[in-house]
Amino acid sequence: MLLGVGALALLTPAAAQSPAREVRGGQTFQFALANGMQVLVIPDHRAPVATHMLWFKVGAVDDPAGISGMAHFFEHMMFRGTKKVPGEGFTQAIARNGGESNAFTFYDYTAYYEQIAKDRLPLAMQMEADRIANLDLSDANVATEREIVMEERRMRTENDPQSLMGEQMNAALHLSHPYGRPVVGWMEELRHIDRASASDFYRRHYAPNNAILVVAGDVTAEDVRVMAQKEYGGLPARPLAQRAENAHPPRLTESRLRITRDDAKVPVFSRTYRVPSYATAQPGRAEALETMAQALGGDQTSLLYRVLVEQRKLATEVGASYDGYRRDMGEFSLYAVPRPGVTLENLERALDEVLATAARTAPTGPDLDRAKTQLIAAVTFRRDSQYQMASAYGQALTIGLTVDDVNAWPQRIRAVSANAVRSAAAGLNRAESVTGFLLPGGGK
Amino acid sequence: MQRLLAILLLALTALPATAAEVRNIDLGKQAQVWFVEDHTVPIVSFSVSLPGGSAHDPRTKPGLAAITAAMMDEGAGNLNSAAFHQALAAKAIQFSARAERDFTVISVSSLAADAGEAMRLLQLALTRPRFDNEPLARVRASIIQSLEQDAAEPGQVAARAFMRDFFNGHPYGHASNGDVASVNAVTQADLRAFAKGHWVKNGLKIAVAGDITQAAVTRLLGQTFAPLPGTAVAPPRDVGRLGRPGVHIVPMNVPQPAAVFGLPGIMRSDPDFIPGYVANYILGGGGFSSRLMDEVRTKRGLTYGVSTSLNPYAKASVMIGQVGTRANAINQTLQVVRQTMTDFAAQGPTQAELDDAKTYLTGSFPLAFASNTGIAAQLGTFQRQGLDVGYVVRRNSLIQAVTIEDVRRAARRLFDPARLTVIVAGSPGGGAKPVDKPAAPPAKPPQP
Repeated sequence: MLLGVGALALLTPAAAQSPAREVRGGQTFQFALANGMQVLVIPDHRAPVATHMLWFKVGAVDDPAGISGMAHFFEHMMFRGTKKVPGEGFTQAIARNGGESNAFTFYDYTAYYEQIAKDRLPLAMQMEADRIANLDLSDANVATEREIVMEERRMRTENDPQSLMGEQMNAALHLSHPYGRPVVGWMEELRHIDRASASDFYRRHYAPNNAILVVAGDVTAEDVRVMAQKEYGGLPARPLAQRAENAHPPRLTESRLRITRDDAKVPVFSRTYRVPSYATAQPGRAEALETMAQALGGDQTSLLYRVLVEQRKLATEVGASYDGYRRDMGEFSLYAVPRPGVTLENLERALDEVLATAARTAPTGPDLDRAKTQLIAAVTFRRDSQYQMASAYGQALTIGLTVDDVNAWPQRIRAVSANAVRSAAAGLNRAESVTGFLLPGGGK
Repeated sequence: MQRLLAILLLALTALPATAAEVRNIDLGKQAQVWFVEDHTVPIVSFSVSLPGGSAHDPRTKPGLAAITAAMMDEGAGNLNSAAFHQALAAKAIQFSARAERDFTVISVSSLAADAGEAMRLLQLALTRPRFDNEPLARVRASIIQSLEQDAAEPGQVAARAFMRDFFNGHPYGHASNGDVASVNAVTQADLRAFAKGHWVKNGLKIAVAGDITQAAVTRLLGQTFAPLPGTAVAPPRDVGRLGRPGVHIVPMNVPQPAAVFGLPGIMRSDPDFIPGYVANYILGGGGFSSRLMDEVRTKRGLTYGVSTSLNPYAKASVMIGQVGTRANAINQTLQVVRQTMTDFAAQGPTQAELDDAKTYLTGSFPLAFASNTGIAAQLGTFQRQGLDVGYVVRRNSLIQAVTIEDVRRAARRLFDPARLTVIVAGSPGGGAKPVDKPAAPPAKPPQP
């Protein structure tokens, strides 16, 4: 896992292939520390602040068998203190120094971030380095945090019928692959978390050689190189738990769920397909899925919206989206809310007719141009936000993509042909899908 | 690690108030325009506040301002709804409008090259809205469905009931998006009347940030808003008695009941507003650092989140708090909230809490100025609170000047548990999305 040859690998401007087009910001610099920590720097000198994100290549896919929710629970425990910065000291110190801090967990990664004045970056780095190595996991903390995570699950999932349906659909779609387990964990399995399992998880996954540091903001690559070497360079690399290579078992037929609940007040149609991700797709295929999602259901000018909402007046809301930033398979999702009086069966039939049209007929020139314009403009809008820039690169790197992949994405979207979009629609296979009907139960 | 402790103890002394220089632009006496020029990223962000919000809804038509705002991009001039959406999408112009209580707020961001087209479409939307029946029916159906969904969400149910009970019949008390009956009753003529009376230049506030020169933005805004009428908008009436002390239950069968609680706040123009804001930060506004979070979440594991906020409107101010917990813990949770509030009102903050609050509130201020969209949004908030352009520079010294006695006084004024109005949606005592996936930047409440 060790990347560095000497103390530090070379500083290389990752956007070197098109410097002339990147002069107004957008340049990134990448290097690695000798202990294996990868570092990416995204300078943005508009305000004297920086966003520090530390990404770990560990997520809900790495939850131990029988303890779904462990990776997310562990993210919470990282805020429970070390010997040197006990209790709530981490968050308090960041706040006292004018910063914001938080973290998030998804299937393939966990990330911790601080947004803070640039001269306080060393503080953020010291405390992050400290908690990578010296976390204090006491029984009392584990028990209290377990209650907090259960409350989080009640709030996000159990109180929300659409979340509950999404969780069931996910479990059905991915079969035995861990993408089928909820990131927050099943309530019954959260109960199994204890100090020993948390401690084991920490030892197996938290080490500098499993981390990617992204710093966006009012810094230079040299600033960050010096700081990172000083604060993180002393952490020893450690052998990591081998990540499981989970198979996506074959699906022989589609799955269908009808969920009737009293707390569902409006019927909802939802369908998710298992499709290739940016990490697994043949060249161009993920970009075609992305463009197809935008043209089919990305906004109020999309094909689904025009036909189902405006022309046939069968739906009030409709959308399509592609989640391609995963190490294993991605997801392509469709969503629609019927107008009052329209059944989900009729809505689904009409939606499938639109899909069939999209599979037969390539998008028109203006429709394709509009979809691409929006996808590509989003990259410029993203540059307005340190948080979004750091997130975009951090997410890509943790799933195995490169900085060049991220930088070249707009060119690859430009290259998507109308026929590639049609072919992406034609490639949606019902056997690879789960369809959910959420139905209001009883009277209103 | 010695150095670590040294830095932990270090308090922020003097950070620049902002990196950005905020300029006034003259658009005549009726409108206020603030501008920050920055050419780093080729986009321009606009925050446009029109002087009419849900508090201006006619008594029989709650939700009118919100529906009118939702119809803003549904067709104007010779562009029908679909054509208007296509014109925005063709240039990737981000356009949204929402009704707050005192203002209708429009956010527009575009690539720098398309700022002219963005403002052309905004002008068309404001001056020649179509309000066609077909999109009106669609928008109406969509709002009604979201109202129906809200009716099953305890947090939404508690918040609606709280505002209604707290404001006792004042227009601040109805939900911005109205109710099913009123949304059904709204007509095209209602929309026209609301737009004519409230989408006006008199009281208009605009904040712009990004890749455009002062000369260009002055010309562009002048052209865009010149045709708006100069009609004056009457302010909402004065509020009467605020609050309905006690615990009121809205029975619902849900896994996690929600409680919304509140008290009269401190007006934005009151000299105690800033001390009050600091007091609220310490009690419940400071996220993970607040006393309530520490007592309810960190120590006892009773909730995922508890918070309070101070909300100054034009004619009233309200401190609102919220917490969610399992059904069998709601009484204990409310007891801890009440006790924490009682202690804080009686004793005020410690010196360390005050020092920490000041270094956070002053030190984090520049974070709001790190992006064009952030700058436009933050300046728009200041404008709607009736502040002057110099406030941006003054603001941190106002917070630095707050004394412990100021905060004690404000805490006593704000946090009187005997007057607390509490709504619980749920049944006390009874019964893939990613977790924090970074799809969007974290929501940050506007800074005072």
